[in-house]
Amino acid sequence: MENVKISGIQLFLLIIGFLFGSTSILTPVASAKNDAWLAVIIGGLGGACLVWMYVAIAVLNPSKTLVEILRNRFGKYLGNAIAILYIWYIVHFSALTFRNFGEFIVTVTYPETPMVVIIGIFAALLVYAVNSGIEVVSRSSELFVPLLFVIIIIISLSLITTHDFTAFLPLLENGIKPVLHAAFEFATFPLGEIFVFLMVFPHFNKKINNLKKIAAFSVIIFILLYLWSIFEYLFVLGKDLLYRANFVPHIIASLIPNSNLEPLIDIYLIIGGGVKISICIYAAAKALSQVFGISDYRKLVTAVTTFSVVLSVWVYENLLEMVEFAQKVWPYYSIPFQIVIPLILLLSSYRAKTD
Amino acid sequence: MNTVLVLIIFAILIFHDLSRFIKQKDPIKVIAIYTFIMSASLVVSLLLAAGRRPPGPAEWIEWMLKMIGVVR
Repeated sequence: MENVKISGIQLFLLIIGFLFGSTSILTPVASAKNDAWLAVIIGGLGGACLVWMYVAIAVLNPSKTLVEILRNRFGKYLGNAIAILYIWYIVHFSALTFRNFGEFIVTVTYPETPMVVIIGIFAALLVYAVNSGIEVVSRSSELFVPLLFVIIIIISLSLITTHDFTAFLPLLENGIKPVLHAAFEFATFPLGEIFVFLMVFPHFNKKINNLKKIAAFSVIIFILLYLWSIFEYLFVLGKDLLYRANFVPHIIASLIPNSNLEPLIDIYLIIGGGVKISICIYAAAKALSQVFGISDYRKLVTAVTTFSVVLSVWVYENLLEMVEFAQKVWPYYSIPFQIVIPLILLLSSYRAKTD
Repeated sequence: MNTVLVLIIFAILIFHDLSRFIKQKDPIKVIAIYTFIMSASLVVSLLLAAGRRPPGPAEWIEWMLKMIGVVR
């Protein structure tokens, strides 16, 4: 493995940037309407359990990537086959993030520009970052991800006069079912996607036990910030608009009186989406190079990114299809990759350690 | 026009990478995997550019989940 190390603060900011990737424009809990905040809490707890599971796998298999763990636990052939499925899944969700980014920019900022041009330019930038190594991506996140906190605070404070603090009432107006469904969506998107970090954790430069603290801290901070954002969306837009709108943060930013702060959402998305897609491309290229025994993952970065860009254009015909897939299909499609296989890995790793 | 653009972009990417692989004397498996992924991307891109969008992975996945009965 390449001798690259990332610090605790870098890992923390990478996780935060990754989690804010697509959630900076899509609102996975919007289907719970005025109980969206409850869905964030329940889904956050579920998602935190998933993240705990991934970190436990990393702690039980120190210095091993996801591909190496799969090979160790399932044997060379089955392990490689499952690793290839994981590579597909990672490339698929990096394509979905590219598409989210493209749809948002084309709908809101550059309506005259073809989406593939915007995605292509963004991809070229990310290929450069990933080819420079995970250390460079981490340092960039150290520089840019703190801006996300600033943007969230600026937008929240700018709208403080337009809040209706009773908008989240009545509680459980539509019963618990939509809340649980939205909570499940939130647990799988974005929290469950943290499994990708199983390709990054081996580069962590501190004791492996510190990983638990950093992961827990990152997830808690993310859930609190997201809860804050959801309350803000509810207080400003109300439940109906929150449910119907496609790009809620953009609408929120456009409502700020006497100023045009909409570009802040673009910056928010470029930082979050950039970190998320960089990690995905790195993980997919690295996993592919390990499966086929290639010494340097960089040789496959351009190919993986090109496929991801093509897939992002191919995967949906329009915006509505994208939103429907994200809400109805994605959570169930994610179950084997985010829950079932990691659970088997955790149990077998624990058993191997106790034996 | 779109098809020509797609061909030019892929030609530049493939020429740039393959010449690097050959210069660095990379193993044949690197070239094989690279060629496989780029060919798949090129075929899909050409179909999309020609306005003949093949059924996408989102549709396959939805179909599979519907077959299992997970999604209605």
